Amino acid sequence: MDSVKDIGLDGSSTLFDTKGLTFAEFPSDYQNIRYFALLIVQNAPPEFKELNLLEQQISELIKNAVKHGNKNDPSKKVRVWYGFDQDSARLIVRDEGEGFRRLEEWNSFNRKRLECLHEQNYEKLGDFVSFRTDCSDDTDGGNALFAALEYWNGGFCFDEARTGVAMKRTFR
Amino acid sequence: MELKVHKAGEVYIIDVEGEMDLYNAYKLKELSISLLEKKASRFIINLQDVDYMDSSGIGALIFICSTMKKQNLKLALTNIHGSVKKVIELTKLTSYFPISASMDDALKLVQE
Repeated sequence: MDSVKDIGLDGSSTLFDTKGLTFAEFPSDYQNIRYFALLIVQNAPPEFKELNLLEQQISELIKNAVKHGNKNDPSKKVRVWYGFDQDSARLIVRDEGEGFRRLEEWNSFNRKRLECLHEQNYEKLGDFVSFRTDCSDDTDGGNALFAALEYWNGGFCFDEARTGVAMKRTFR
Repeated sequence: MELKVHKAGEVYIIDVEGEMDLYNAYKLKELSISLLEKKASRFIINLQDVDYMDSSGIGALIFICSTMKKQNLKLALTNIHGSVKKVIELTKLTSYFPISASMDDALKLVQE
């Protein structure tokens, strides 16, 4: 079975070190989430492969911060630190919400999802393809964090307040 | 995102063009629901002209796929490529979705 990756809580992780990163602040403006992601990605080296995949992954994190963190409250900001070098991308996203209180539930759900995949039980997998809560609506796919945990291969964790998430992708 | 529907025999083929994202993925769900209400039973979703898909787009495909499975209807997704393919791989849904490499294969799959 694939090694099970949980999303952890570690605000002291070097992933949260903002030294050398560029800071940006965005309003909780749902209609401009993809635009905000593009503003960040345009700073990535053009030789990066799959820039639109990087943009998509960053867009998901800003969406989570705007919608699930800040509840689309225009008075609340999303703060982002980002940095690129020739073979890696780093990102920290902070919102002003109550934090991802369902992280343990998500980790448990993800473990069951991975078990289904390992057992090739695709019928049961149908129950674990989308993590939904009473806050989910029709525009929530419920699958963004599954992809994020795979994409950000240099680490992905929340801080203890669960309002900040930091990650790294290496392209080697 | 634009959606065009045409028929090949009893098969409804939905050509998706553009970006399937948080702002428009619901349109594909709505279209699929309207086709189901017309008693359509065989579908192909052609993603040839989709270069960007986010979790909302994946969510729309999950909804359609799970709905079809529950009703024992036939569905194939075809011509998946580029970052769309990568996103599906990252979510490990490659084996969950009925994916066909080509339109011909998709037609065979839904006509079985």
